[in-house]
Amino acid sequence: MRVGVDQERLEGMSPRKRVNRGLIRAREFLFPFLVVGLSWELLVRFQVIGLRTLPPPSAILVEFWDLVWNKGVLIHHLSRSLYRLTIGYLLAVGLGIAVGTLLAVRKTLREMFMPILSMLISVPTIAWVPVLLITIGLGDNTVVTAIFLGGFFAIAYNTMRGIEMVNKDQVNAARLMGVSGVKLFASVLLPGSLVSIITGLRLGIGYSWRALVGGEMLSALVEWGIGKMIYQARFWNSVAVMFVGLMVISVSGLLLDRVLLKWLEKETVERWGMLAER
Amino acid sequence: MGVSWRKPSVYVPSSDGSGGWARVRWLLPLLPIAVFLICWQVLSDANLISRSLFAAPTQVVDELVALHFRELPTRSLLLSHIAATLKRLLVASFIGILSGTLGGVFIGTRRGLYRFFDPLITLFMPIPGIALAPLFIIWLGFGDPTIIAVGSIAAFFPLVYNTAAGVRSIDPQLVRAAHIMGASRTAVLFDVYLPWAAGHVLMGVKLGLARCWRTIVAVEFVAAASWGLGYMIWDAAEYLRAGGVYGGIALLVVIYLVIEKGLVNTLEKYTVEKWGIVRR
Repeated sequence: MRVGVDQERLEGMSPRKRVNRGLIRAREFLFPFLVVGLSWELLVRFQVIGLRTLPPPSAILVEFWDLVWNKGVLIHHLSRSLYRLTIGYLLAVGLGIAVGTLLAVRKTLREMFMPILSMLISVPTIAWVPVLLITIGLGDNTVVTAIFLGGFFAIAYNTMRGIEMVNKDQVNAARLMGVSGVKLFASVLLPGSLVSIITGLRLGIGYSWRALVGGEMLSALVEWGIGKMIYQARFWNSVAVMFVGLMVISVSGLLLDRVLLKWLEKETVERWGMLAER
Repeated sequence: MGVSWRKPSVYVPSSDGSGGWARVRWLLPLLPIAVFLICWQVLSDANLISRSLFAAPTQVVDELVALHFRELPTRSLLLSHIAATLKRLLVASFIGILSGTLGGVFIGTRRGLYRFFDPLITLFMPIPGIALAPLFIIWLGFGDPTIIAVGSIAAFFPLVYNTAAGVRSIDPQLVRAAHIMGASRTAVLFDVYLPWAAGHVLMGVKLGLARCWRTIVAVEFVAAASWGLGYMIWDAAEYLRAGGVYGGIALLVVIYLVIEKGLVNTLEKYTVEKWGIVRR
């Protein structure tokens, strides 16, 4: 695991070195955006690109500041979105892991439900939205359900795969020692399949995030939300607002993935360390 | 409790006397689908679930058949919708896959370029396609240009990312060996880099096609002028014709399965497996 190695290397460094390294990384990451932004600005300023509807980055930044501070709506949009995402995603995690485990452990259930599951997996998440719009309504519940559906299938599928691949000898040994039920799940199956489950969780948050944006755009009665902000901007032709929305979507999507991934993978590394000590 | 690992499956031959059961066992997966559909049908015939929200299976079929026959002497509406979506998928995925592969090779073979573009790709890749739709509607209007543009962007990123990763994973010794033996730049590109990265590229094609398909349907919801499966579903939802919505989604699933199983797997068979570099 690359992350593990990085972690070890970081631990050996002095705090100051660590900060320096972080700064170098941040600079390397931001440099391309600076170049692209500057050349975009210059191209628009000197009218090389004469698109009436393409604002320069400076205008987008001004709009960003306006939305954050003067109008103060961006925070509201984002917090509504994150609130929906939290509910939908947590539901997906809980039910996804439960269903995945059940399907992995019970062979008959798996043989019965795999075809339906693999059929439902191949429905694009966004295609659920029209169904939800006519069955659940045009409001919040539709968006939350779409988020749930987006994450659920990826998590359930990867949980199932992970548990199937747990070493059978370990499971048998645990059974011989009288471990079963929830305890077997928590102390053998879950640690053994955690890598695969985490893959599912990462995929799931990506799908959920996409479903969130799409669901907000398509649900008529939703008023707040980052997807809605972009969609509404079309009615007053404000391209700058759209760019701000896209920026926020991509940065927060990335942060969710990175923060969640970092934290979870640290947990697994720690768990593995614990296992090695035994 | 868990049955599957109580007896190690290795010791149990697949046909251990229970021949009759084994012969019909493959029917088991179809059973829940059939039961599900029959329950659905019976419940809605008995008016226990609303027909206008959860269209009964017969209603779905009726709706699709009606759509097919409505203007039949001149054209079939159903097939026109499907054809419109497939045409967009074809054009968008072609543009996306070609430019993505070329871009991936271009930045994958140059270290500096890769370090420059990697952050940009990391940040732009996770943007959902449908979020780009309003922007492109302003630039290109409703209809084909917007849908195809957003679809090709969706296909582009998995290709560029995976191709670059594949090209970068090549053993430098191989490239040096080829150069020493007098291979030209294009020969090295086509005979060393591409076969080596083929597994990655194909993975990218799979992901890219899937993304392209999803994005095109999604953008059709908001940007299609009058044709396309996404438009058909959206139109049915607007007028609360549940049969059309469920029928459209069923079509989405079937068409995509055909594309994936038929096209992608064949492609895999004739390229990667032939070269003997399938990673299992």
